[in-house]
Amino acid sequence: MNANTALLVLFALPLLASPVIYLVGRITVKVTRDHTAKWPARGLTVVVLLAALATLVSAAQSFFINGPFELHLNQIALRLDGVSLLMSFVAIVLGLVVALFSSRYMAGEENEEKFYALLAALVGALIGMSCAVDLFNLWVWFEAMSITSVMLVAFYKNQAAALEASIKYLVQSAVGSVFILFGISLVYAFTGALNLSAIQANLSQPSPLLMVAASLFVIGFGVKAALVPLHTWLPDAHSQAPSGISAMLSGIVIEAALLALLRTLSSLTDASVSPGAILLTFGALNILVGNLMALRQTQVKRLLAYSSVAHMGYILLGFGFSLAYGNLNGAQGAFFHILNHAAMKGLAFLSVGAVMYVLLIANHNHRALELQDLNGLSQRYPLLAFTLSLAVLALGGMPPLAGFMSKWQIFVAGAQASSPAVLTLVIFAGLNSVLSLGYYAPLVNRMYRRQPAEVIAAGKPLTFSLALSLVLLSLPVVILGFWPSLATPLTEPAARALLAVFGL
Amino acid sequence: MAAILIVCLIGIPWMGAVLVWLAGDRRPALQHTLAVASSVLTAGVSLYLVFLNQSQPAVTIPMGSAFGDFTFTPDGLGVFLAAVAAVVGSLAVIYSVDYMRGAAQVGRYYAMVLFFIGAMIGLVLTSNLLLMFFFWEITALTSYSLISFYNDDPKAVAGGLKALIITQLGGLGMLAGALVIYSQLGTYDLNVFLANHAQMDPLWLKIAAFGFLAAAAAKSSQFPFHTWLPDAMEAPSPISALIHAATMVNAGVYLLARFFPAFEGVPGWRTAVIVVGAVSALIAAVMALFANDLKRVLAYSTVSQLGYMVYAVGAGGIFASQLHLMSHSVFKALLFLAAGTVIHAVGTRDLRQMGGLGRQMPLTQVVFILGALSLAGIPVMNGFWSKELILEAGLEHAPFWSYLVMTFTAGLTALYTFRVVWLVFFGEPRSHLHAHDATAFMRVSLVALAFGTFTTWLLAGPFARLLATTLPFHHFEFETTWEVVFEVLTAPATLVALAVIALGLLAWWRRERLLSLQKRLAFLQPVAEGAFGFDLLNQIIVALTHALASGLRVTQTGDLSWNIFAIVTALAVILAILAVGV
Repeated sequence: MNANTALLVLFALPLLASPVIYLVGRITVKVTRDHTAKWPARGLTVVVLLAALATLVSAAQSFFINGPFELHLNQIALRLDGVSLLMSFVAIVLGLVVALFSSRYMAGEENEEKFYALLAALVGALIGMSCAVDLFNLWVWFEAMSITSVMLVAFYKNQAAALEASIKYLVQSAVGSVFILFGISLVYAFTGALNLSAIQANLSQPSPLLMVAASLFVIGFGVKAALVPLHTWLPDAHSQAPSGISAMLSGIVIEAALLALLRTLSSLTDASVSPGAILLTFGALNILVGNLMALRQTQVKRLLAYSSVAHMGYILLGFGFSLAYGNLNGAQGAFFHILNHAAMKGLAFLSVGAVMYVLLIANHNHRALELQDLNGLSQRYPLLAFTLSLAVLALGGMPPLAGFMSKWQIFVAGAQASSPAVLTLVIFAGLNSVLSLGYYAPLVNRMYRRQPAEVIAAGKPLTFSLALSLVLLSLPVVILGFWPSLATPLTEPAARALLAVFGL
Repeated sequence: MAAILIVCLIGIPWMGAVLVWLAGDRRPALQHTLAVASSVLTAGVSLYLVFLNQSQPAVTIPMGSAFGDFTFTPDGLGVFLAAVAAVVGSLAVIYSVDYMRGAAQVGRYYAMVLFFIGAMIGLVLTSNLLLMFFFWEITALTSYSLISFYNDDPKAVAGGLKALIITQLGGLGMLAGALVIYSQLGTYDLNVFLANHAQMDPLWLKIAAFGFLAAAAAKSSQFPFHTWLPDAMEAPSPISALIHAATMVNAGVYLLARFFPAFEGVPGWRTAVIVVGAVSALIAAVMALFANDLKRVLAYSTVSQLGYMVYAVGAGGIFASQLHLMSHSVFKALLFLAAGTVIHAVGTRDLRQMGGLGRQMPLTQVVFILGALSLAGIPVMNGFWSKELILEAGLEHAPFWSYLVMTFTAGLTALYTFRVVWLVFFGEPRSHLHAHDATAFMRVSLVALAFGTFTTWLLAGPFARLLATTLPFHHFEFETTWEVVFEVLTAPATLVALAVIALGLLAWWRRERLLSLQKRLAFLQPVAEGAFGFDLLNQIIVALTHALASGLRVTQTGDLSWNIFAIVTALAVILAILAVGV
């Protein structure tokens, strides 16, 4: 398969597969007259995502030899560079693990096939967004991502809390989208171009209009990227969604929105808009607010949702250091953290999801999981207690786990700025990492108590597919902690590509 | 060869940890066997590595720009501390076979202990600053997990969390220091840093120096971070002996000693180290005097003795500090294990309920007294030689007031040590406690360590040569054990110290006469029990953080209109910022 075909297949496969998955699911139900017979839909999703991964690998081979390349379909151009390679990789792999996990977790839910169809569409939208090179396409993919993720958050449509969360998510996303669209129209009016590099080329002098456009982009994309104070939808949406979707939302969707913002801003660099300071400010806010809010949560998934707000802050700091001081380590560390966060937070949400499944869902109970339900979890479910401990300790930045290494790389970038003020910011971020252990560590302690919670005694056994997906995600969390340079082939081209479009 | 040994030293205990965990709690006999086998094997390898010392890196794994080369250098300081960690570690594990027999979740216990031993060895052998921080944090993680091993006990959970948070806070200093060194010199290799530290801008060198001091103080539970170690005593006793006496808490002293050549010229740094050491030594000794919990007395005493080592580094006596580190590892591990035997036998840690236990547990009594003699600095125990060297270094190279403080503390040390010995083993039984003496596996560890308390000082000469030949940036004046002995015996500080120690002992024998003095000092008791106000300070910081977190919840209204309002406001702010041009 040549590189261009591979890219086309990569981008078309999940999107085309989405309705097919739905139809296959419906047809199986009709044929077998069994509402729970969804295995063809589940299996097809896994096969499609595996095929997408294989296609990505084949496209990546060409990328590593010949560098970035573009595919033109009339007006639409898709570009595979370091950034899109990394983001697509994370989207597909995480999507795959989530599909595997959900085959048990979602089994027997009403309209289960819709879940898989939407999941495939979400992965497709993420791939498209990471490959888009013009503002209009970027916006379309962004909307596609928003719509699929909102529908997935509202998947438990009989639960008021899920509906409330999805409506908040929808309305706030829509406000953001309007801002973006307005920003795009301003840029088009001023430069007559939509292609990102063409915009950059057509810019001759700074203009207040472009500044307005830039602020609209920051806020518009910022809503989806959960920048504080635009993050208010996130704790609801990420905690009410099915656990696999929580993993997708925290692990890749908010990061993809940030990358969309950075790509958009890169076209305006000559308009004397310097995003570095803005990113650093939001980064500090995200870290502080995310951690402090997480400290007082009693629902496990809400706690993890706030932790995502905080981790977005570390990623923002990384990009901010790079864009403000032009060093590679910041962006590379941020991409490394995106990779690690997908694994760590994915593992955390899936572990919690597995706990919810064995304790609650398998017993037909759909209430939220409280911290006290975890008491003594290790007595009966040692694997779940272990993977959840692994995930939260990695999120807290403890070695020898992956989160330590990516935070380190981000902090290195801060130190390389050689400014006491920036070093203070690094210490502040480190201080917040310590603070985060204030809610992660007691969670671990709970699970290793000897007195199990009552709900644990009534739990169902852990099944193979749940365990397998957790083990799969545990591997990178541990391995990257010992051997951080394994991620360099992905993170370094991504960082170089990003800095290149900013002209750094 | 050295490379293979280093890989084994970290690999064997870590593999052992995984195997013990995989063995599962249904097979405790297998778990005990695996743990003992891997820790003893590690100890053997670590002793062999001592003879393969070199000042060049033995293992180098390139990791790319932001992570540097992962290097391990078996120099004198490294192989010595690795041997201490492995040997005391294996003795603690052997002791645990009896101590933890029948306990629940033994797998988690051994896995964490072995994970700790590997990490501690890595910490002292690596010459990459990132890896040093990496292992540094792993030791904190394992320490936390073992302190709160009894997770159902809220005190144990709180103690573990406190230890974790405080050492991590200090660890930020090391993080900042390592980052600054990398950004200035472009390397994580600590020997390159020691060679080229003069090229660094003085401001950044100062940040690194004081950052490392903060990290060291937090790890070694020194003033003002001295509050966590006493609360860490909720850990099983072998853990107190291994992590909170013999190895991990020494990491701070190791860090200061390791980087002394680079930082000694930083204005104010040595004075700061001396102050931290002297204040810790003094206040911890006072706290030990008032404590009624057997393990807390030993914990305070650890803080105090670590204060001596820190003080020695500040005074430039690197060898003295490391020799005391060796002595202290042996006698304090012994005291903790003997205390563990007592606690295991009688089921309480309260000194007020003990008394007269010597008749029931003669072996424990003998080894505990040997450890106590060493702690008090009585000749010819190992603690005597190293403490005298420290006091002598203080007299020669540190401010005179600090020497007075340290000498006075030596007297206090003798006093509180003999108070403990008396309360536990002598006098009339104060309650009906039925004790049994140490069992087989416990005896092995106790006797081995007890033997060490009066023999390890004989290694002073070879140890000094080992350090001198492999640490090119440090200066050591001794060559043989005889020189050390001669130096100590002829120094005026020795006689003064012995007199003060004798006074301290006398104070205990004449304690009835001192009752009136004790009453006058009674006001000190609550202050000392609260770690001189620093426990309160910790609580206030935690309360403030929680209050801030609760206050912030107001922002999460759950009301969509407010959420949109926040979005629009943020847009206005960004517009304004861009308009004024930042």
